[in-house]
Amino acid sequence: MHFAFSEDQTLLRDTVRDVLAKECAPEVVRRVWTGSNEERVPVWGTLAENGFVGMAASEAAGGMSMSEVDLALVLEEAGYAALPGPIVESALAGLPLLEQLSAGTPHAAWVERVVSGEATLGLYFERQSLALHAPLADLLLVVRGDALYAVPRAEAGLVAQTAVDRATSVATLDYKPSPAHLVARGAAAQVAIQLAYERAALGNACVMVGLARRMLDLAVAYAKDREQFGKPIGAQQAVQHHLANAAGRIAFAQPVVYRAAWALANRDRAGGESRREAELAVSMAKIYAEEAARFVAKVALQVHGAIGYTIECDLHFFMKRVWTLAPFYGTAAVHRARIGAHIL
Amino acid sequence: MKILVPIKRVADPDNANKVKVSGDGTQVTSEGLEWKMNPFDEWSLEAALRLTEDGAKKTRTGEVVLVTIGPKDAAQTVRTGLSMGAERGILVEANDQELDSNMVAQILKAIVDKEKPDLVVMGKQTVDGDSNVAGTVLAELLGWPLANYAMSLATDDDGKTLTVKRELDTGVSTIKVTGPAVITTSDRILKPESVKNGVTPADFKYPEAEGGRYASLKGIMAAKKKPIDEVTAASLGATPQKTLSYLKFELPAARSGQTTFVESVEELVQKLKSDAKVL
Repeated sequence: MHFAFSEDQTLLRDTVRDVLAKECAPEVVRRVWTGSNEERVPVWGTLAENGFVGMAASEAAGGMSMSEVDLALVLEEAGYAALPGPIVESALAGLPLLEQLSAGTPHAAWVERVVSGEATLGLYFERQSLALHAPLADLLLVVRGDALYAVPRAEAGLVAQTAVDRATSVATLDYKPSPAHLVARGAAAQVAIQLAYERAALGNACVMVGLARRMLDLAVAYAKDREQFGKPIGAQQAVQHHLANAAGRIAFAQPVVYRAAWALANRDRAGGESRREAELAVSMAKIYAEEAARFVAKVALQVHGAIGYTIECDLHFFMKRVWTLAPFYGTAAVHRARIGAHIL
Repeated sequence: MKILVPIKRVADPDNANKVKVSGDGTQVTSEGLEWKMNPFDEWSLEAALRLTEDGAKKTRTGEVVLVTIGPKDAAQTVRTGLSMGAERGILVEANDQELDSNMVAQILKAIVDKEKPDLVVMGKQTVDGDSNVAGTVLAELLGWPLANYAMSLATDDDGKTLTVKRELDTGVSTIKVTGPAVITTSDRILKPESVKNGVTPADFKYPEAEGGRYASLKGIMAAKKKPIDEVTAASLGATPQKTLSYLKFELPAARSGQTTFVESVEELVQKLKSDAKVL
């Protein structure tokens, strides 16, 4: 078996990388941070127009029915650019969930709006204390027991909160379920909701890997540039070892995340056994990616010294994004417990 | 309208710091380099796509054929162009190190003889060789009109005649060209209203862009099915002869990074003479 991304998948990654490098450079993230960006979610229109937001939707809905493997590299690039906005929730986790469960209901009209980039999605599972990106999402998919509700933002009872990453919006939710918002309920809905949770955790892991890669690149560039004792600090063995450890963490996390994407994309190949394997793979991916990103953030900050934490230095966008996103869709501790429950 | 667009892969100019010269100084080594379509070629491809579409309806009205000359893996660069919207590609197998601009022009002539395009639209130069020669030599070999450094193109008869604005050091030269012709483009060809084809509504504006259009997801998927013909110079009946050899490459000297402040013009002139030795 050949485990590698296809030519199309790498071309897709390169294209998204190019789009984000041009249209979501750190100065754009800085403008979002300070609230002065013209677009609510930068670069969203370009991503949607070129089909990247609706990748996972069916062809009938304007998408390409693409799998978790196809989306993994795209989301990694979103992390690398610190793309503000609900890309995991809209592109990977929420859109297929909404399309699957809303068929034949008035809520189905939202699918096309999300694919076209006109609307964005937020996700709120019962285990969450905060709704990630909710103040930016046009429609919140709210899970209550075995039911899914599609709630327009204005009706969700949102109370905006301040995250350590000012480019990421979060909110608490004071929502009383309404029959008008009910999309689906029951056993089939529960299966779809569980799959959306796995996808959200996987997407979060992909973004973490991208963030870790960017922080390492920034730290390496700084180590080559910053001179102390008459030479670049990167010439010092102690700094090299720190950076090498960071590179090692990323190299270990990446294949675990890709494996989870593959396992999730092929979850039905052997019935219950492969679905269980996919859940385990997703948990491992979330653990490895989150811990790698936290580790690289620490190393990158050490390499930069105090300037790394200042608002003028780009590093803090990526570092604080890690700290903000890490608790969502299961912390490393939650996923460890899930693996424990599976193997004991 | 059928347009032939020659494209070349070059070392990613954003990673120019990775460019290395071989130990004997006779060539630039390609190890560890990431390849990218020559930016000038990407812009000429964008111009060709705009000439052969209805920009408002996003429908194709003509054909763009890409051609590259290089090793087999240069097909990836062609695939990138196909995903942007070109119809098909041609790969002429060759070794990068054994080519010069003259040979490229001779091979392109053989392709033109076979394909019979209405126009050849190409970048005015590549960012690696910076020769700015191949387009001019190709026009000479074909006996076709040449409009180089094009910053805008307008046609209303499917490319049979074109009004071309050329960007020169002395200003802008506006010329009328009767096709078939060779056109080389500058970066200003990307301006929102630089290309008019008589099909796209006259008031339509393309978005401001630093490069060619992005490959859409559908474009990437469609590119898989588009053909890339693999040929050789010999199979085209061409026997290009190399006329240029590079004797030596060397990297520019590292800059000191020092800044010297001076109090007067006299002192500046003195320093330029004594320290910088440029006067």
